[in-house]
Amino acid sequence: MSIRRLPVYLLLDCSSSMTGQPIEQVRQGIRALLDDLSTEPMAIETVYLSVVTFNSTAQQVILLTELMQFKEPQIQASGATALGAALRLLKDCLNKEVRKNTIDQKGDWKPLVFLMTDGMPTDSWEAAADDLKQQKIANIIAFAAGPGADVNNLKRITEIVLKSDELSPGALKAFFKWMSQSIVRTGKSVQVMAQETPIDLPPPPPQIQIVP
Amino acid sequence: MTETAYLENGRTIEYLPEPIGEGTMKEVYFTQDRESVLCFYKGDINKIDPKRLERLRDILKKFNPSVGDKKHADYWAKLFCWPTGIIVKPRLGVITPVYPSNYFFASGRWKGKEKKARWFVSPKLRQLLPVEEQGSWINYFKICIILARAVRRLHTEGLAHSDLSDNNVLIDPASGQALVIDIDSLVVPQIFPPDVDGTPGYIAPEVLATAALRVLDTRKQLANIRTDQHALAVLIYEYLLSRHPLRGPKVHSTRSAEEDEQLSMGEKALFIEHPQDTSNRPKEGLPIPVTALGTTLTELFYKAFIKGLHSPYERPTAYEWERGLIKTWNMLHPCPNPKCTHQWFVVLPEENTIRCPFCQMAIHQPIPLLTLRSEKRPGHWLPEGQLVIYHGQRLFKWHVFDNVFPGPDVDREPQAYFSFHHHRWLLINQTLTSLTSPNGNRVDIGKALELKAGVKIRLSQEAHGCFAEVSMIGGV
Repeated sequence: MSIRRLPVYLLLDCSSSMTGQPIEQVRQGIRALLDDLSTEPMAIETVYLSVVTFNSTAQQVILLTELMQFKEPQIQASGATALGAALRLLKDCLNKEVRKNTIDQKGDWKPLVFLMTDGMPTDSWEAAADDLKQQKIANIIAFAAGPGADVNNLKRITEIVLKSDELSPGALKAFFKWMSQSIVRTGKSVQVMAQETPIDLPPPPPQIQIVP
Repeated sequence: MTETAYLENGRTIEYLPEPIGEGTMKEVYFTQDRESVLCFYKGDINKIDPKRLERLRDILKKFNPSVGDKKHADYWAKLFCWPTGIIVKPRLGVITPVYPSNYFFASGRWKGKEKKARWFVSPKLRQLLPVEEQGSWINYFKICIILARAVRRLHTEGLAHSDLSDNNVLIDPASGQALVIDIDSLVVPQIFPPDVDGTPGYIAPEVLATAALRVLDTRKQLANIRTDQHALAVLIYEYLLSRHPLRGPKVHSTRSAEEDEQLSMGEKALFIEHPQDTSNRPKEGLPIPVTALGTTLTELFYKAFIKGLHSPYERPTAYEWERGLIKTWNMLHPCPNPKCTHQWFVVLPEENTIRCPFCQMAIHQPIPLLTLRSEKRPGHWLPEGQLVIYHGQRLFKWHVFDNVFPGPDVDREPQAYFSFHHHRWLLINQTLTSLTSPNGNRVDIGKALELKAGVKIRLSQEAHGCFAEVSMIGGV
């Protein structure tokens, strides 16, 4: 009897504005996330992780992988901010990798997507955003890291938008920490959730605000 | 740098300012000496539960078995991590002792982490643990007895734990011990309501089915002694069989996993081993069916997951589990296969061949089975239980006397032992003063008696002394 999986997608902006300390903080953030999750029995059993990065193009650098098999991706900062390409790729991945609920298969939990960006999209993204928001195939949490990102754009993708006023290492670190708490909380409560209720996320740390 | 907490009794405690953990309800800190932890309630607890302080006062004194039951205080103290004080400043909270060291992993990747039961009941997680932490099957059996006893103790007082789960029971399979934690949310029906619905997988179907209803809705079912009984049965099933009793392949909704789960664990919950309705039976089959645990436990599991699944008052009580597990303990036999993963199994006396269900190895010689009979009314000797005999098996007071129950305060001194010696099965007397052979002769201490089919032995002539009737089983 295979256990239901909780697919988690990280959509990470790796454009040139992330160069230096911010991209290093993202690398450390992923490492800390793995360390945190791998002490949680629930996460080891159910969490599957994938990483999609975007700059001038979007690429799924890690396919959806069981937590204990997950190897950190090599990520570099360069290029533009192809958010539209990232959203289209995400939709493909969700369709391809997430097990559907059918009459003879217990499918996966509704996926969690954490989207982090520090700048304005440089490609056409609106249609992909509307499509994702309408389809509700995942719980998307968007994070506007620093003043360069437009929270209104992100609101077009999902209702759950967080922001930090500056692109500081502290804010990125806090975001990854909060991400691991959110994954654990979702994994533990997922079964008592009714269909239409919004997911129950822990309160974010002081550096990060929820955009109402 | 430490901070100061003030207890209700006037004491002060220094604690480390960095939290070590966080739950839904509480934030946890170490005391300066790291011998206790402080658990502060999050948010405005007085708003959520104005009676919290009153509840804590009762939990600390009135309901604490280590206070109320002086004779067995030490025994209960080992089974529960009971709060030792109420913190009133800077925030309301409780102080509890740090769990004994055997409840933290001593080695491996998770060294220092708490041994929550989840690590051991999930085959996927268990195989990641060091072999010495995994424990033997007989120790899981022992843990079930301890857990049933602990829950029975709460229920006898009219208390419900309200959130029994693989998260709130720590187990040490290496030594066969268990510890019930998170005592501060104990529920007293009609007086102190539950905080939470419980933990997914352990929430009783009626609670889950009505979880979405508003708090004041009278149809809403809350955690209570009957829902504890459901969680206890799930835990025992998981410990003994390493799988969940309700998680099968049957799909109840294709709209979403969440809705399907809600129905599969709630309104439409169905035992994976239901003998008539096999629609939730895993397609890959069940390596060890529940019936391999013997008739006593099979009946209890059927009662819990068939009859009582949607009828809370039909569920077996913790006391029935404790008795049923002990009765089955008497039916355990070591597996002759040194490579067997389980090493022990439950003998099914009605089978022609006695076989270990875990590795399939058979025992080809007949083995003795004692049927214990006690005089319920003068002249009426009724079966009290059975005892499977193997080389090295021992006879205890609870086998000899029908009024001795193997509870916390029982005398654990062996009264006699069994030996297979020169192709004969012998009972060797160690302390019994009136062990009587079938021909009416006393068997002195240090002397032996042969076990043969049909032989009747009076274990003691004293009041409540039982008869043991020998039959030889298996051998095919």
